[in-house]
Amino acid sequence: MTLLPWKRVVPKSDPQTPRFEDLALPLLPSLYNVAVWLSRNPTDAEDLVQETFLKALRGFDGFEPGSNFKAWIFRILRNTYLTSRSGLAATRTVALEEELEERDDSGPRLVPEGAIDRQTPEVNVLWMSDRAALQAAMEKLSPPLLEVVLLCDVEEMKYREIASVLEIPIGTVMSRIARARAALREMLQGTVRVPGNSGAGGAEN
Amino acid sequence: MSDHLTSALLNALADGELSGDQSAIVSEHLAGCPECTSRALEQSLLKSATAKAGERYTVSAEFQGRMERLISEAKSSRPVKSPSQPQRAWNESSLRWASLAAVLLVCVTIFGLQRWSSRTVSETTGLVLEVRDQHIATLAANAPPEVISSDRHTVKPWFQGKIPFSFNLPQNLPEDTTLDGANLTYLGGRPTAQLLYSVGKHRVSIFVRQEPTASGLPLRFPDQAGFHVTGFRAGGLEVVAVSDTEMGRLSDLVSRFEQAQAGGQGGAK
Repeated sequence: MTLLPWKRVVPKSDPQTPRFEDLALPLLPSLYNVAVWLSRNPTDAEDLVQETFLKALRGFDGFEPGSNFKAWIFRILRNTYLTSRSGLAATRTVALEEELEERDDSGPRLVPEGAIDRQTPEVNVLWMSDRAALQAAMEKLSPPLLEVVLLCDVEEMKYREIASVLEIPIGTVMSRIARARAALREMLQGTVRVPGNSGAGGAEN
Repeated sequence: MSDHLTSALLNALADGELSGDQSAIVSEHLAGCPECTSRALEQSLLKSATAKAGERYTVSAEFQGRMERLISEAKSSRPVKSPSQPQRAWNESSLRWASLAAVLLVCVTIFGLQRWSSRTVSETTGLVLEVRDQHIATLAANAPPEVISSDRHTVKPWFQGKIPFSFNLPQNLPEDTTLDGANLTYLGGRPTAQLLYSVGKHRVSIFVRQEPTASGLPLRFPDQAGFHVTGFRAGGLEVVAVSDTEMGRLSDLVSRFEQAQAGGQGGAK
């Protein structure tokens, strides 16, 4: 039997076409982890992830097989977070900081590299090994800086993917990563320099 | 050495994001600069330490199960379009299909008259899906309601001249429930008031539109993809509420809304 001429050629049935659950469920731990970090509340994070799944399910018809599902669903999570209560509150808080940051994207660094106070590598290794202190420092990062650290370091996304998730230029991604790491380093060095205060950040964890 | 590596280059090095040219330049520089080598090591250590510290929260088995059920329920209630399923080509049975279509056309014509007096199941299902979709779209849109107010005396008058009917908002809301605002929208092509409430941290949409056939029959809706849907008809109005909050709390809010339409003890005005 031959196909009629006006019949559009439809690709053969592809048994490899992934199902939503096959793609989404393996990412559930990552989505939840990032959601708790951003919302700072496990209950809110569950709501956030559930809503993300619902939106992703509804939009899955439009998802192009073979494209980056992880970046796609993280973008949904992030947009859902932005419209959530905690996200809206955080957006208001960091609005000014964002303005300052955008200025920092194009021009040279305001602080010369040589002016940054650095400690010896031995001391740096010491404070980096303090997981609780590092988590406490991460908690103090503003959401725009925290999310790039989570996507870059924890989720091991490339700059291009992070730019896609956050819908910002790659230059802004790089700028935020530099700012986030500088802030973490500064906070951690502070905990080492002043032993009497070192428990303040990590005590709550 | 005056031109040490910039933070951007050190970060790109730690993140494996250097281009080929940059990589060669950086390698050459690091070979002769202990200070930058130390900083590169520090950056790399910070990245790996952050990666470990960031993996902090784990999914409970209960939530994992809930998400698996959510997916299976959503897929069963709204089958996902399967692009891989090839369409069957026209064949010798096309005449039979044409006959069937003709019969169906006659049936539709006959039953079309009956639709004035009774709603079909598919209509109800369609309404539920539309209500749910509008609710999700409202949550997804990064935009405030058209009228933002927790004051019912602000929200209700806002609809004057926008919709061809009026309704009452309950004065006394259940505990932890607030009015967030409202939108003018359309359901089934008819102007509809979408009232937005928050029950705890859950959002509720209550849609109010004119009910053309004032049947007074209670509305019963199945849950849709984790959302509860309930409603009532009274006084020529059809009210449908949707939310992912607990059904009991949603019903409580809706019953107060119903009392408000009747001007009863719910505190209507």
